[in-house]
Amino acid sequence: MRLELRGITKKFGSLTANDHIDLIVEPGQIHCLLGENGAGKSTLMNVLFGLLQADEGEILIDGEPVRLANSGDAVRRGIGMVHQHFMLVPVFSVAENVVLGFEPTRSLDRLDYARARENIRSVSREFGLEVDPDATVESLPIGLQQRVEIIKALSHDAQLLILDEPTAVLTPQEADALMAIMRSLAASGKSILFISHKLKEVRQVSDVITVIRSGRVIGSVPPTASENELAAMMVGREVSLVVQKSAATPREPVLEVRDLVVRDDRGLAVVDGVSLEVHAGEIVALAGVQGNGQTELVEAITGLRHVESGSVVLAGRDITNHSPREILDAGLGHIPEDRQRDGVVLSMSVADNMVLNTPRRAPFARHGTRNLRAVRDHAETLVESFDVRTSSVEAPLSSLSGGNQQKVIVARELSRPLEVLVASQPTRGLDVGSIEYVHREIVRVRDDGHAVLIVSSELDEVMALGDRVAVMFQGRITGIVDPSTSREDVGLLMAGSAPAGTR
Amino acid sequence: MTTLAASAAKVRQPLGRTKAIGWFIVVVGLFTMFGMGVGTGTAPHSTLTFTPIDVSHGAPWHLANLTLPTEWTLVLLGAVIVALGAEVLVRRLAKGAMVRVGLMAIVFLVAVLVWASRQPGPSQVPFINVTAILVGSAAITMILIYGSLSGILCERAGVVNIAIEGQFLGGYLVGEMIDSATNNWLLATVGGLVIGALLGWLLAFLAIRYLSDQIIVGVVIVTMFTGLASYFNSWVLTPYPNLNNGNIASNLAIPGLMKIPIIGPTFFDETGFFYLMLVLVGLVSFALFRTRWGLRVRAVGEHPQAAAAVGISVERTRYVNVILGGAVAGVGGVAFAAIQGQFTPSITSGFGYIALAAMIFGRWRPSGAVAACTLFGVSAYLAYNLQSYQVPISTEILLMFPYLITIAVSAGLVGRVRPPAADGIPYSRE
Repeated sequence: MRLELRGITKKFGSLTANDHIDLIVEPGQIHCLLGENGAGKSTLMNVLFGLLQADEGEILIDGEPVRLANSGDAVRRGIGMVHQHFMLVPVFSVAENVVLGFEPTRSLDRLDYARARENIRSVSREFGLEVDPDATVESLPIGLQQRVEIIKALSHDAQLLILDEPTAVLTPQEADALMAIMRSLAASGKSILFISHKLKEVRQVSDVITVIRSGRVIGSVPPTASENELAAMMVGREVSLVVQKSAATPREPVLEVRDLVVRDDRGLAVVDGVSLEVHAGEIVALAGVQGNGQTELVEAITGLRHVESGSVVLAGRDITNHSPREILDAGLGHIPEDRQRDGVVLSMSVADNMVLNTPRRAPFARHGTRNLRAVRDHAETLVESFDVRTSSVEAPLSSLSGGNQQKVIVARELSRPLEVLVASQPTRGLDVGSIEYVHREIVRVRDDGHAVLIVSSELDEVMALGDRVAVMFQGRITGIVDPSTSREDVGLLMAGSAPAGTR
Repeated sequence: MTTLAASAAKVRQPLGRTKAIGWFIVVVGLFTMFGMGVGTGTAPHSTLTFTPIDVSHGAPWHLANLTLPTEWTLVLLGAVIVALGAEVLVRRLAKGAMVRVGLMAIVFLVAVLVWASRQPGPSQVPFINVTAILVGSAAITMILIYGSLSGILCERAGVVNIAIEGQFLGGYLVGEMIDSATNNWLLATVGGLVIGALLGWLLAFLAIRYLSDQIIVGVVIVTMFTGLASYFNSWVLTPYPNLNNGNIASNLAIPGLMKIPIIGPTFFDETGFFYLMLVLVGLVSFALFRTRWGLRVRAVGEHPQAAAAVGISVERTRYVNVILGGAVAGVGGVAFAAIQGQFTPSITSGFGYIALAAMIFGRWRPSGAVAACTLFGVSAYLAYNLQSYQVPISTEILLMFPYLITIAVSAGLVGRVRPPAADGIPYSRE
């Protein structure tokens, strides 16, 4: 299929999300759409998939203008989409998910499961995507669920596949497998529109890369363009992709985790005997595919989740199962994984968010009464020194961009007396410019002599920031390696198998 | 990778909880054996009779009364309960624990009955009429099943219908008035269907168009309609008692089948509403789990975004289902009127909520709801009628039973129930 977008414009109130976007995807081409969060990629995809209507411009399929009023129209026109958050019903079988909306039926509106299975098998055979049609989707690993999404699109005879940040949830090995699938689909004549912000994989798999920024097409480049070039196009200025840091000078251990066992909400021991030491003056980066216990480990360290057994010691003091307040007061700074849920109160002002974990302490309060002037002065100082972009310190936090919200949290945590900083997914959802900033701040904390524990599912970030890299798989630390270790070996540890030469 | 999924799928109940349930059942069994059984003293007897109260259709069969030694019967029933508990403990049943608790409840109810009717004893009624109990329970069960089906239709599409009570009341009022005026239950049914559908539409409109909290809207609808019904009662029904003359629908006995002992009067000598309910149970089961329509409805209730992404209209599906559910509950209200007669403002006495509880206990499935409604129906009937046996437990306490079970179930104490994932969550496209 040859897809052409001409002058697509989409406005939300005063915000122009897409501004006269032109784009051509040739048959059999893997076309990457590269851009920061908020650049307008998702809006464009939703327009293309019929979920939103463009204010201006037209969509041409094989030279013919089409109107896509809803996603059903898009599917009938041969456009398939693999969403970042899978559009699969977890309790349905693979077959039920694949046929949903296009069900083969027998008399009395009954579902024809035999034909549904046959559809899946024929797609599996044609494209080499094996999956059991009768398996329940929620029992499948993420990689296979994504495969079901692809089969679903192909079974509707999609000629153009849109993949929205498809590697975000995959291990490096699964991501490699996906890229192989993408190449073989393209070879069989399917067009692929691939959305990503990961420079490495974009260069690895694309035929053409189109960069958009602030709703506009900045340009199209071949995959031979360098990462620095691409990053500059995305951000609009030169950015440093390499974290600048000197060698670590680790001193005494500050955070000591011993044989920690933590259960999740379902009662499973998702942290299953983890021991870890973080020394003053070093950054330990915890790598792993999401859902292997990192979240619960951090929650246990920060007092948000009950520790079943084992201990957490902070600067020589046992803080196991202490309240979050006691732990914060003992000198732990926490940048939480889900910042909007656990890090800030969106409806409160920037100033109030800046003192969210020290509201009762002088000078912000005395005798149970808040000192609003001190709070505001404090906020103004921090906004200045951390370069938070906000109209005023009284503005509600929800009016700030994601990057600036993160800066508020970073500013708050780093402005308290600290022993250790625990940062989970510190750059998730941030643009390249903000990432650079947050990384610099984290390195500064280390250089000031504090201990830092980073949890990230971005392998690049882990390797760039960590002085030591611990890999977590199924609730256990599968290895602690030097950041110079090859990505392949770390990938193997993330998948639970130990490469040669590691413990 | 694969092991990751395996561990995720292996969601199991903590062993401690299963143990507690097992021990609870065992204790109930021991209490039945020794507290009620051995404690009765002076070798009393309990008599079971099987002659239906309503013999207008004739009972061409005759079953002799069955006289049981109370003490040993209770010990035996208690032993059955202990065995159920032991099974849970020994086999570490986590999944089947809920079914065992249901069985325990039924056996225990029988035991209470046997104990209460013992002679010599305090009871004025010297026997247990098994057929009468079954016939009486069938009527209550029928009402509850209408309500549960209504709940299932709505919640499978992701809308909580807590307004069933209001729809019952509406159907009852309208049905009773139309029947009193025309003496035609078919017209009354149509009237109840319309009022139920309208109340369903109101819930759907507020919940879908304005994304209101469905629980609050549902409660408001019930409260509003309760007030409206009282108003109607004092300003229309009191001055014009002809509109509320308490008709009861006559039974449509099925020739031949109705002559089967015990089963005949219970299942084949019922009002048309009973047969309609049976048809609806089959229909809803089939439609939800076998058809394309059902797959789409369930998709909307589980993951509306996924349904929308393949071109299914979430809003329309929810409207249709909530209106359908309202209509079913409205008809249930008419059925209520058809067996109960004269309307009074608080006549539905919380049956709509018990029906919703039964739906949860039945895991959002018509078959499960039928089982749960039967359990709740029998216990509600006994609660109302145990008084004549001079049981030293008040009706109000016995009527709490369905709610206690519901609390235990929804708190995850017994088994694990999982509602449709998007149940009660407003859907908007952005």
